[in-house]
Amino acid sequence: MRVFTASLAEMWFSARRRTRLSPDEATAEFMLAGRRLGQQAPASQRTLELVLAAAAGPATERELAGETAAVAAFVAALPEPEPARRRGPRRIPVLAVAFMFVALVALCGTAEAGALPAPLQQLAHQAINAPAPPPAMRVPRPSADVTPGPGATGSHSASAGSGPSQEPRTGKPGASPNPTHTSASQGNGNGQPTATASTQPTTSTTDNGKGNGGTPGQGGSNGNGNGHGNG
Amino acid sequence: MLDGDFPDVLRLAACGDAAAFARLWRDTHPPLLRYLWVSVGDAAEDVAADVWLDVARRIGSFHGGELEFRGWLFTMARRKMIDRHRYEARRPVSPTANGELFERQAPDDTVAAALEYISTETALALIATLPRDQAEIVVLRVVAGLDASAVAQIVGKSHGAVRVAAHRGLRTLRERVADAAVTSPGRGGVTL
Repeated sequence: MRVFTASLAEMWFSARRRTRLSPDEATAEFMLAGRRLGQQAPASQRTLELVLAAAAGPATERELAGETAAVAAFVAALPEPEPARRRGPRRIPVLAVAFMFVALVALCGTAEAGALPAPLQQLAHQAINAPAPPPAMRVPRPSADVTPGPGATGSHSASAGSGPSQEPRTGKPGASPNPTHTSASQGNGNGQPTATASTQPTTSTTDNGKGNGGTPGQGGSNGNGNGHGNG
Repeated sequence: MLDGDFPDVLRLAACGDAAAFARLWRDTHPPLLRYLWVSVGDAAEDVAADVWLDVARRIGSFHGGELEFRGWLFTMARRKMIDRHRYEARRPVSPTANGELFERQAPDDTVAAALEYISTETALALIATLPRDQAEIVVLRVVAGLDASAVAQIVGKSHGAVRVAAHRGLRTLRERVADAAVTSPGRGGVTL
């Protein structure tokens, strides 16, 4: 009993130290937490303790009388499992198929419009006969279709040719054409074609045909389209 | 309190196990009913049934420990209690429509009965004589077994306000009982 009383006193003092409560407040917290004060507590506090203990007493038969009804209501309120199972597996494939269909239609439409990136457009061109990517968007093939000529680097970079490379749309004869439009028919400025792979005309639609066709080197291999079609 | 069994009981109840739900109900319904009885009087059973119906519908989405579950339960109960008060305020024929349920004075025989034999109902009747907020907080702390922080969340007050209200409630309760102090021979000489 002494040990019990001592531990209670210790708990009381520790609680008081922690929260800096007045003695009444510490006692109140003690009772609110459901702890017993012991026989040495004042009578009024022990009376209050009895009242609180009775309020928190064990359940009475009257309070538990509604258990059957409560459980029945619980069972009735449960969601029916069968429709939930039926709904689960069906919804996912329908949604997935619908999403894939929409994505496929959008991809085909973009491919038909020629708005895909060059590699994808090329793939779509081969697969569903979509328009081929414009030459400027094609993936370069440096080793297969380039024949280095004299004075030419043989590359498809912007510095090919000896003419001024920073005048892309001048259309002047003899000037180096726009490197972005001449990846397949790059001249070297001396009239010698260096690239022979492409058979399509260049796409410098804003340039006049005079400029493109007048370049001696471009007419030799595949510059016919430029000279006549665009002009 | 279910203590260590609570997670399994909750999981089974959430899966629709009626026995687990019954165990949960047996453990939690008495304090819930007492809280509601202090708050709404005779309508406590109806409000408690509504609360348990909500629990049955939403228990699958609850996550937390036993104290959190009690906090969740009593929060729902408090909302329904407020709804009940509003409903009764629109229908003044109800005996609790004037909102004086929590302010009512303890009848003399209540204190006398408490001194003879303190039953749960008598103790709750004494607590119900306190001002409304104090009675609610005392019941949540003592009967529901919630700490001050949990009670503060339920009633929407600060931790300090809850503590002060609880202390005032206990002081008032002690004074009311001590005013009619008598000696109860059946309780080992405890002065009542």
